[in-house]
Amino acid sequence: MKPASHSSLARGLAVCVAAAFAMLMLDGIIHALMAQNPFGAPRPSGAEPQAGIVGWLLAKQSEFYREMSSTIRAAKSDGAAVWTLLAISFAYGIFHAAGPGHGKAVIASYLVANQETARRGIVLSFASALMQSLVAVVIVGVSAWLLNATAKTMCSAEKVIEIASYALIAAFGARLVWTKGGGFIRALQAPRPLPAMALAAAAHHDHAGHGHDHSHVHAHVAHHDHEHRHDDHGHDHGHVHDEHCGHSHGPAPSELAGPGGWQRGFGAIFAVGIRPCSGAILVLVFALAQGLFWAGIAATFVMGLGTAITVATIAVVAVSAKDLARRLSGTKEGGGALFMRGVEFGAAGLVLLFGVGLLFGYLAAERVTCF
Amino acid sequence: MRRLFGLLLLAGAFALGANTAQAHPHVWITASSELIYAPDGSISGVRHAWTFDDMFSTYALQGIETKTKGVYTREELASLAQTNVESLKEFGFFTFARADGKKEKFQEPVDYFLEYKDAALTLHFILPLKTPVKPKQLAVEVFDPAFFIDFKYADKNPIRLVGAPAACQMKFQRPNDGTANAQKLGEQNFMNGENSNFGMMFANKVTVDCP
Repeated sequence: MKPASHSSLARGLAVCVAAAFAMLMLDGIIHALMAQNPFGAPRPSGAEPQAGIVGWLLAKQSEFYREMSSTIRAAKSDGAAVWTLLAISFAYGIFHAAGPGHGKAVIASYLVANQETARRGIVLSFASALMQSLVAVVIVGVSAWLLNATAKTMCSAEKVIEIASYALIAAFGARLVWTKGGGFIRALQAPRPLPAMALAAAAHHDHAGHGHDHSHVHAHVAHHDHEHRHDDHGHDHGHVHDEHCGHSHGPAPSELAGPGGWQRGFGAIFAVGIRPCSGAILVLVFALAQGLFWAGIAATFVMGLGTAITVATIAVVAVSAKDLARRLSGTKEGGGALFMRGVEFGAAGLVLLFGVGLLFGYLAAERVTCF
Repeated sequence: MRRLFGLLLLAGAFALGANTAQAHPHVWITASSELIYAPDGSISGVRHAWTFDDMFSTYALQGIETKTKGVYTREELASLAQTNVESLKEFGFFTFARADGKKEKFQEPVDYFLEYKDAALTLHFILPLKTPVKPKQLAVEVFDPAFFIDFKYADKNPIRLVGAPAACQMKFQRPNDGTANAQKLGEQNFMNGENSNFGMMFANKVTVDCP
């Protein structure tokens, strides 16, 4: 490796890391300021525990979610309430996935790791959302409706599915790292351009770094969302956070590309869509108990539609950011290409980290709260 | 290459290290609790009564056999109650006690049962302290650090002291109380770098000072 390209790569990555780190810091600061007031001055009494956009999103989600049970009850006597239920479910879905964190790490990372179009990102966001809704309906339909199983049994099934989902994501990440690592190493070994070109490319890297920070930020935000439980005061409690309702693990659009692409695309959808949203399961069981299972099913799919819209939006942003980075990093050969391969490799690594983190987070602390 | 891995590791470390949980609750519990004192003035345990929200109550009752539809006796709910307390153990019963700043542990719950009334399940249980304590200050917090469960104490009689020495003073802080947040932050989170504990902001805190 020649020094010129090495330093340009390092600089590009350093910018990415710095940007991601800066966003994390900013995130932390905003949280501290908004939610906790770090200097110990009393907050205005009667204030919500959370303020700002985050707090507002949280409050909205909770509101919509809580309204669901009363609306389902109302629908028993008043058919029109079903429309209200659907509207609430849709809004809940949108807000739920829009909330910060909510595991958009994998979707953003996938999209960055692969050279893909926004359209495929959208397709896969919707496909995995649909699958999550289907899985929730099947779980409740089979265990509660057909078999009249207890909540305990259902919850155990949820746990098993959860582990499977995390393992699949980890495996997916590992495969991405494997393939992207190959591309990266080939890029490293490729003939270097003239120093002048490399410098020119390097000059663009700062911009490229900026272009990327959307995706990286999502990845990091979601990451710490997941990992926080390791730091939780030593109480090893973990719960379902429903990152998965947010179609968190949006599949890699390129998984749909090329020969056999749809098959692999299905694999990606499967890995991320298999894990249902525990909120949807609660709603379904509740609707079933009220004798309005069909309304619960409709609500679940509308909820999925809402989350799909939000996740697809993020997918488009991530893809656009990468396109911008690619344009800014200039030439296909040399430093620019090396830089892009490095970014892809890094993003692939994040998917793996994410999967492994979820898996071992699970093993260290139960995620699904069954009680 | 090595530098790249170094940077990736660094990025990963930051990603894993920094954290803020932004979950929203899926279960709402309306709680009321009693601090139980032994005749010698020491605290022997906490008695909880947790009423689950409509949706979760219905979910929990799924598949429970009952003689009369919609009516669940304490016996019919016995196995569910046992499942509840067994599962809650993993989460430390969401009850965190400190006697003069020292963490106290609880034994297995006793006298636990479920009650079904007005479409809601209420879980009753007593958490005996491992060793009864007689501290100058006792602090008990009830919250879910992961905020999957939102604990809200009842408006009426949220906390009662049972058999406490007359001189003991009780203070109860709800999570929405601004001073409670500031104090928590000053005392624990800020000093120990534990402000990552999102659920803390939603803690209900009882302090009892016995001179």
